[in-house]
Order: sequence, then structure tokens, then C-alpha cells
Amino acid sequence: MQLKISLKQAERKVLKTAFQHGLWDVFIGCVVLQFAIAPLLSRSLGDFWSSAVFLPFWALVFVVILLVRNYIVRPRIGLVKFGPYRKRKLTKLVAVMLAVNIIAFILGAFLALNYKGSPGWTHTLLLGLIVLLLSTIAAYYLNLIRYFIYGLLFLFSLLIGEWSYVQFRLAHHGFPITFGITAGIIIFTGLIHFFRFLRSCPLPANQTTSEETVR
Amino acid sequence: MTKDPNEEVDLHPLSDIDQMIHSRARLMVLTYLYVVESADFVFLMRLTGLTWGNMSTHLTKLQDAGYVTIEKTFKGRKPHTIIHLSDKGRAAFKKYKKSLKQVLDDLPD
Repeated sequence: MQLKISLKQAERKVLKTAFQHGLWDVFIGCVVLQFAIAPLLSRSLGDFWSSAVFLPFWALVFVVILLVRNYIVRPRIGLVKFGPYRKRKLTKLVAVMLAVNIIAFILGAFLALNYKGSPGWTHTLLLGLIVLLLSTIAAYYLNLIRYFIYGLLFLFSLLIGEWSYVQFRLAHHGFPITFGITAGIIIFTGLIHFFRFLRSCPLPANQTTSEETVR
Repeated sequence: MTKDPNEEVDLHPLSDIDQMIHSRARLMVLTYLYVVESADFVFLMRLTGLTWGNMSTHLTKLQDAGYVTIEKTFKGRKPHTIIHLSDKGRAAFKKYKKSLKQVLDDLPD
């Protein structure tokens, strides 16, 4: 018997178990999907509405994810309240994410107002780097390396899209293709995690009788 | 400096090792409860890989020893069991960790 008491590993396993269902990956994928579809809608709906129409779509996906989590995931995996160490880390994550978003918003507004004539790829590169930074922070605080990979995919989608526009004058900067592939990869990864979770964690049998034996 | 293998090792701290904790299943349960605020029955079962019956038996023992507190609620019609590590259990786990570390550290390579 191998007896290892590593509290750090135990804590990580708790987090991994709680996040193994992959539903948030599906949500992230649906957010990225906007970058693929919005350019196609911009001609008919305009720049603002082509993005704004995604808000109810995200809300719907979010509600579906919450329902799936409550009725399918939780009965299989149960509930945990993280300890002080993880709570501090999650609070830090939210604070850092918020700070980066605010800085990015200010920087974006400043660039848009003062450097209108600068080439498009500088703005897209900046956006890509900010998303990569956010995903890296999330990956670090949640111990989920795949979030960093999603950030990289996002950055590459922007760069390859811009490059394809410069080289081949591809419509909509090639974003429907590059972001479509990225969103597909992320959603597919999430679904693989979800189905693997369903297979590895079936509904526990005799729940009522066994739980009742605990006084 | 390396330890002399012939040097007599003081195994006295072994007698301090809490037998309630020193079982594979209960040690796993307490280790996970030590790093979280609380967890429910199902979550602990998934983490430890114990069966319902086993988990139930060990939790009852730990509860009798005062190491865990068990809160029973209902979610709709289904019972929901939430387990916390008590202060006594936390202190006992810390002491267990210290005693075991002391014994293992004193052993020659």
C-alpha cells in the first residue's frame, strides 16, 4: 500500500474533482463562437447588434449549464465548500481578472480614441495578448492548464485571421474560420470531459438507505 | 550529516499515533476534510473511492470519536449529508501528522 499524505495534492484533487465536468469549457467555447459568427452578421445587423444578439444566447447557455450542473452533475459528484486556502486563491483570481479587464478596457478606449489610424493588427494583437493573460491567470489559479491553451488558441485565431486577410484578402479577416475552429475545439474538449465524467461517475446506488446509516 | 544506521531509533512517538486516524480509509477522509471547509457524503465518496457502506461505517466511527460533525438536511425528498472536520478532529490530525513525521524522519535511510 502506498501511503502518501500530501495535503497540497489532496487540495488539488478536490479542485480537479469539482471542475472535472467540463461544462465551463462549453460556456467558454460558446463565448468564442461569437467571434466566428458576429462578423457574418455584421453586414445585416451592424457592428453593435451583431455582437449584442449573443447576450441572450450566452444567458441561455449559462442557464442550461446551471441546470445541468444542478440536476446531472451534483447528484453524481456531490458538493464541496473549499477551504480557506482555495477561497483566498479564488478571491485573488476574481480581483486580478477584474483589474486586468478594467485596465484592458481603459487601454482599448484610449487606443480607439487616440490611434484611429494605426494598423488593425496592433489592436487585434493587443486583444489577443489580453485574453492570453486572462486565460493564463485563470489556468494558474485554478490549476487547469487547458485554460492557458484556450488563450493561446484565441491569440492564434486572431493572428492567423489577420495574416489570411493580408495574404489572401479573406472575407471577415478569416475570423469565421479561425474562431469557428477554436470554438469547436473548446466545446468539443468540454463535451469530452463531460461525457467522460458521466461515464466515470454514475449515479450512486442505494443513496438513501446508505446515507441513513450515518447517524 | 547522514544518520548512523546502527544508531538506535526512538520509536516512542509511534505509541502516540492515533489509531482512529491510522487506518487507510479514515486517513483519506480526514485528509480531504482537513483541506476543505465541508464536503457532502457523495463528494467524499468520489474522492476516496470508498463504497457507500464503507464510507458510512468510517464516518460513524469518526463521528463517535468527535473528529467530524455530520449535518443531515433534506434536498427535496432526498437526504443530504454534509461532513465537517471538528476542532477536535483538526487538532488530532495535526498531532498525527507531527508524530508520524517525527518517526519517519528519525529512521535511517
